[in-house]
Amino acid sequence: MPPVQQRRRPFARLFDNRATLILTLLAPVMTFFIVFNTIPTLWLLGLSFYNFSLTSGMPPDFVGFRNFFAILASKNGIWFDLSRTFTFVLCGVTIQTLLGAMLGFLFWGSKDMPGRRIALTLLFAPMVLTPVASGTFFRFIYDPTFGVLNYLGRALFDSGPIDFLGNPELAFWAVLAVDCWMWTPFMTLMTLAALGSVPKAELEAAEIDRVPFLRRLTLVIWHHGKFIMMLGILLRTIDSFKTLDLIIPMTKGGPGQTTRLVALELNKQAFESFNMGWSSAYAVLLLLISIAMTSAFIFVLSLRRRRENGA
Amino acid sequence: MSRLREWLYYAALWLIALIFFAPIAWIVMSSFKTRSDILAVPPKLFFKPTLDNYVDLFNRGEIFLQIANSVVLSIGAVLIAVVVSFLAAFCFSRFRPKGTDFLMFLLLSIRMLPGPAVILPVFLMYVAFGWKDSHLWLMLFYAMFSIPFSVWILKGFLDGVSTRFDETGIVNGGSWFHVIFKVVMPQVRPGLIAAFIFNLIFVWNEYLFNFIIGGVNTQNIPYALSVGTYSDGGVNWTFISTMTSVYIIVPVVFIYIFQKYLLVGMTFGTVRGEV
Repeated sequence: MPPVQQRRRPFARLFDNRATLILTLLAPVMTFFIVFNTIPTLWLLGLSFYNFSLTSGMPPDFVGFRNFFAILASKNGIWFDLSRTFTFVLCGVTIQTLLGAMLGFLFWGSKDMPGRRIALTLLFAPMVLTPVASGTFFRFIYDPTFGVLNYLGRALFDSGPIDFLGNPELAFWAVLAVDCWMWTPFMTLMTLAALGSVPKAELEAAEIDRVPFLRRLTLVIWHHGKFIMMLGILLRTIDSFKTLDLIIPMTKGGPGQTTRLVALELNKQAFESFNMGWSSAYAVLLLLISIAMTSAFIFVLSLRRRRENGA
Repeated sequence: MSRLREWLYYAALWLIALIFFAPIAWIVMSSFKTRSDILAVPPKLFFKPTLDNYVDLFNRGEIFLQIANSVVLSIGAVLIAVVVSFLAAFCFSRFRPKGTDFLMFLLLSIRMLPGPAVILPVFLMYVAFGWKDSHLWLMLFYAMFSIPFSVWILKGFLDGVSTRFDETGIVNGGSWFHVIFKVVMPQVRPGLIAAFIFNLIFVWNEYLFNFIIGGVNTQNIPYALSVGTYSDGGVNWTFISTMTSVYIIVPVVFIYIFQKYLLVGMTFGTVRGEV
């Protein structure tokens, strides 16, 4: 006699077959993935071999690898943008990590602080704002005539009006400062997480043994906290490589090209000049860099997992 | 620690938090100033507050469209994404079909790519099919962009739920349907909340995609901020400060309420814990 339930709920029983269940669970995500990612990525790869501009009205023209050669060989092109981007990433991530770690250590012992939750909300607020808004209002703060920063400069150091975003030597650093303002709290958050992962017993043991702070830092804290810090640094590296909407409202890549990062250049070529073939090739190159970075991230994750399983 | 030292320490921490918040506070303050007070040299710290800017902003009309778009797009996209991701994450966590690691890698790499590189082919596709400037298609794209993050977070949480629960459920005659939604789902509630909140903040903040594959009908608040910057023949600072003040309420209130999910939300679920 067949079970009663089979007749009562045939729909639910359908999933007793493992393969059907797996397919049903994965179908929605695969549909999304194929429609919005696989097809567009193949389109992008294909188009990178064509000369195609949306504004010219000409049909795409097959040019082989010529787009790639043009990009890689261009003067004042991708190599400058890449080196500028990596300078931005390197300086930004270094400053944010050092400053964030310092703040993290400061906030370490603040469990009983009055109003801690509000204070942390204020501290973490910069990183959840849309960069478009931060960029726009920092232009207001940096303004040479009525900006508050210039006012402070004049009052404290008696300096003349400084056009932070208009001066080719300062613009890059002014943008970097805003990036640091936004993301130092993130590294503070990661430092707090890393410190939280250190077992209390080991710290207390080290304290009782009167191990000096620096040795405690290298032997105990770094040993337990290093993976979280590495993940934080990697996430920050990847994110800062993508920086775009912070810079658009501030300088649009100028003055000259001093704040033109790779994402900005691609945005401009694709959506202002509508140079689609060239931009696709550029995007493919960025895709390769991103894949390398993602692999590094996954590698660190697997290292952590291996250690957790081994321990 | 003596009492005084403790208070000094807390005061220093508060000071640091206030320094980080100062630029935002300055903008919120500016939104209560008149146009001439905003442009005053030297900048005014004390002034007569006025609500005129807010009255002006809400008299513009489009603001309601922009707020409604922001709300509808973010909630719609995130709901779709969380449901789809939960099913996929359950599958990845429990059955580990072939290619799980590769798929997880591909999903993550979407989020690691600079925005224009993601949107370029999608833009061409949307233009070709006439999907531009439509709420539905923009929402679906946002959903797809929120999926990687949700899958990563939810898989982490699902891995932490013992398979004993599934087995018990199945052995006792429950269907998989029952096990997934009634037995396992309640146990990963923190993961669902984290995925929901942080994707919501992401879509709420998103500007580039809305600008490129959206349009006038689907404009959200960041779009409005970037487009409304230059109006009335110059930079319109009253509009910017007022609009920013209205917009930041949501993310700031969210990180206050959901502070314990902040860590998991900012790290794709790869780091767990509270601050």
